[in-house]
Amino acid sequence: MAIEAIAARFSTLRNWLVLLVLWEICGRLQVIASGALPAPSSILMRLWIDRADYPPHILATLEGAGAGFLIGNSLAVAAGVLFALFPMAARLGRGVNIALFALPAIAISPLLVLTFSGATPRIILAAIGCYFVTMSSTVTGISQTDARMIDVIRAYGGGRWSILALAQMRSALPAILSGLRIAAPNAVLGSILAEFGGGGRFGLGVYLLGSLGRAEPDRLWGIGLAATLIAGLAYALFSLIAVRFTGATKAVTVPATAPGGEATSWPLWLRLLLSTGSILIPIALWWLLLIAMGTPAMIAKTPVGLFEYLFLLPNSGVSQMKLLAALGQTLPLTIVGMALGIAFAFGLALMSVLRPGIIRGFMPVALVTQTMPLVALTPLLVLMLGRGPSVILWITISVTFFPAFVTMAQGLSMVPRAALDVPRAYGASLFTQLRLVSVPASLPYLFAATRLAVPRALLGVMIAEWLATGTGLGNLLNQSRGYLDYGMIWAVAVVSVLMSVVFYQCVVLIERPVLARRGMHAAQ
Amino acid sequence: MTGQSGIRLENVSRSFKGRGATVQALDQVSLDCPAGSFTALIGPSGCGKSTMLRLALGLDHADSGAVSIAGITPMEAARAGMTGVAFQDAALMPWRNVEDNIALPLDVLRKSRRDNAGKIASLIELVGLSGFEKALPGELSGGMRQRVAIARSLVTNPQVLFLDEPFGALDQILRRQMNVELQRIWISSRATTLLVTHGIDEAVFLADRVAVMQSKPGRITRIVDIPLMRPRRPDIFTSAEFHRLEDEIAGALDGH
Ligand SMILES: Nc1ncnc2c1ncn2[C@@H]1O[C@H](COP(=O)(O)OP(=O)(O)OP(=O)(O)O)[C@@H](O)[C@H]1O
Ligand SMILES: [Mg+2]
Repeated sequence: MAIEAIAARFSTLRNWLVLLVLWEICGRLQVIASGALPAPSSILMRLWIDRADYPPHILATLEGAGAGFLIGNSLAVAAGVLFALFPMAARLGRGVNIALFALPAIAISPLLVLTFSGATPRIILAAIGCYFVTMSSTVTGISQTDARMIDVIRAYGGGRWSILALAQMRSALPAILSGLRIAAPNAVLGSILAEFGGGGRFGLGVYLLGSLGRAEPDRLWGIGLAATLIAGLAYALFSLIAVRFTGATKAVTVPATAPGGEATSWPLWLRLLLSTGSILIPIALWWLLLIAMGTPAMIAKTPVGLFEYLFLLPNSGVSQMKLLAALGQTLPLTIVGMALGIAFAFGLALMSVLRPGIIRGFMPVALVTQTMPLVALTPLLVLMLGRGPSVILWITISVTFFPAFVTMAQGLSMVPRAALDVPRAYGASLFTQLRLVSVPASLPYLFAATRLAVPRALLGVMIAEWLATGTGLGNLLNQSRGYLDYGMIWAVAVVSVLMSVVFYQCVVLIERPVLARRGMHAAQ
Repeated sequence: MTGQSGIRLENVSRSFKGRGATVQALDQVSLDCPAGSFTALIGPSGCGKSTMLRLALGLDHADSGAVSIAGITPMEAARAGMTGVAFQDAALMPWRNVEDNIALPLDVLRKSRRDNAGKIASLIELVGLSGFEKALPGELSGGMRQRVAIARSLVTNPQVLFLDEPFGALDQILRRQMNVELQRIWISSRATTLLVTHGIDEAVFLADRVAVMQSKPGRITRIVDIPLMRPRRPDIFTSAEFHRLEDEIAGALDGH
């Protein structure tokens, strides 16, 4: 056993080394994209030359990302507990949750910088980046608590809070930790995106933006690596903690959860009321926030202002046409990119069970794609793939797969031992075990992963459109920023949020009957 | 505590609407367990024994009929710390070690663990798990986990005890030992006990009365009194009277 483990570790190390050597050779010979991919040695050299520049930038980014991480995740766990305990709150909060998740960071970063000062925009974007992942994994974890344990506590007269304190929080811990694992790179990315919006002299994003025009790919990569390192360390920290807890959380035997939740027993009028509420709350919040901050009306469009812009002004017709044309370009690519991203994540999650060694080797590469700011990667991808739709799809896959993969892998790893013992006893191969037990047993996680992927796919397409192809909603957003057309910025933001909500609801519509038929609960 | 801790089920019905079909798990079931009595519940698999226990514990609600413990609702009785339960499935928390799992009811009832440390140690000793105090459930065998669940059911000194096939995963010899121990505990505590079992011998050895159930729909068809003297010794298993009672129950199970 020990020898096998060492051998596995060794082969992972060997794979990394091979990868590194290949990269060095490609970089040296300028094979890829005529020098857009520099060799690791020249990146390191450049890092050494620039070493005095880094500390203030890293500190500034860490400050924004760290504060955002703390605030966003505290709010997320609290909200997750609230939603898991009170299904009605979950139903009401859904609108706000999806809106927060789907909020295109690039669209609001200039608005935030205009409204707030100092590190606040960074903290807000980093916190928003953390909120949804951690909130939804908290809800998933709590609602997947073994029903038998809850029975024991209830049998001794324990109420909602005893159940929460003694069973649910602890059994949700691995799920929460895997949420934090995804949230960590998100926080770094959020801070960097806010730095792009301007304001402040320090931060890796500021540094990157300043180096962008100078055609020094080795410096861009160096900055990207620094960002990756920060996110990677946070990711590794939470992985380590998670490994310690997951083993002891896995149920030994198969729980037989009672089918059917109480959520479906609400009368129609109440459900309609809750749906209406969940749509109105984000709109009300949007309005109240603008009033509370006193942003000038020219920049800050209230719902009424936006309606006026789109329907009542003399050139509303032109605005509508622009918006619809952009939507027509973005929509099909989003659907394809989403499907590909989810398929890729699913394949990886299966691989993490079938060939854990390969996944261990791949993880750092995957992490780079999450934190390596797309601004640095995009020129490379454009040179490799051109400026067609394929570059959009690749970028979309790269931003979509990661959270979906982590959630799915989490689900697969939580399958109880006894459930796997039955097929194993009949000599089932690992693949058969996956097909018969692991995949069906982790369906709630698979659906939760799909819901996570939906708004991110749209985000990916828009980033790619902005940075690479100059088409669709992403480009419209960028143009509007240039023209100071704040009405259009708001319109794009609102349309992209609405699109995410529609996709999200489609997944929910499929999820509910599928899980109900198998006697499972949807993980919120 | 006489007269204060009886279990009462009156005309209780419970059906489950599954996906499509409806199962009548319990149909107009009445059972009265006087305070301090020991009742065994026996019947074919799927006849509604566990369902009855869940109703009596207040974990589930009847479609019709009334359930009470000591004259109050099961939930009130549970909150007062009167009840103890061992489920058919051990239902241990995988992150708590043996000691901590046994102490769980104390945590729920907000009772001090330190005051009960001696109790926990003696229960571990009783179920033969000395040396495994710090082991996690994943490191125990099925029978060992079940013994933890039995110890857990006794930690609060319950006046009303529910046991759902608590010895199902134990070997015959250990099972007999545990039967003897359970009788000893019961005689000293006189807790009103409802034991679900598949073992006719176990039911006769332990109970004052054996309620025999039939399925589809689940109902009690016969109550057999066990007039054997207490304390009953293991050699009673081979006595003629014992065999006669066993035959009577077997007949009732067959539907005679
Ligand atoms: N939560 C539930 N949902 C649907 N049907 C249920 C549920 N719980 C029990 N049943 C049904 O009620 C019937 C009685 O189940 P119960 O668990 O009480 O049986 P049992 O007598 O304890 O059986 P065993 O001896 O095998 O443990 C069964 O037909 C079962 O299918
Ligand atoms: Mg049962």
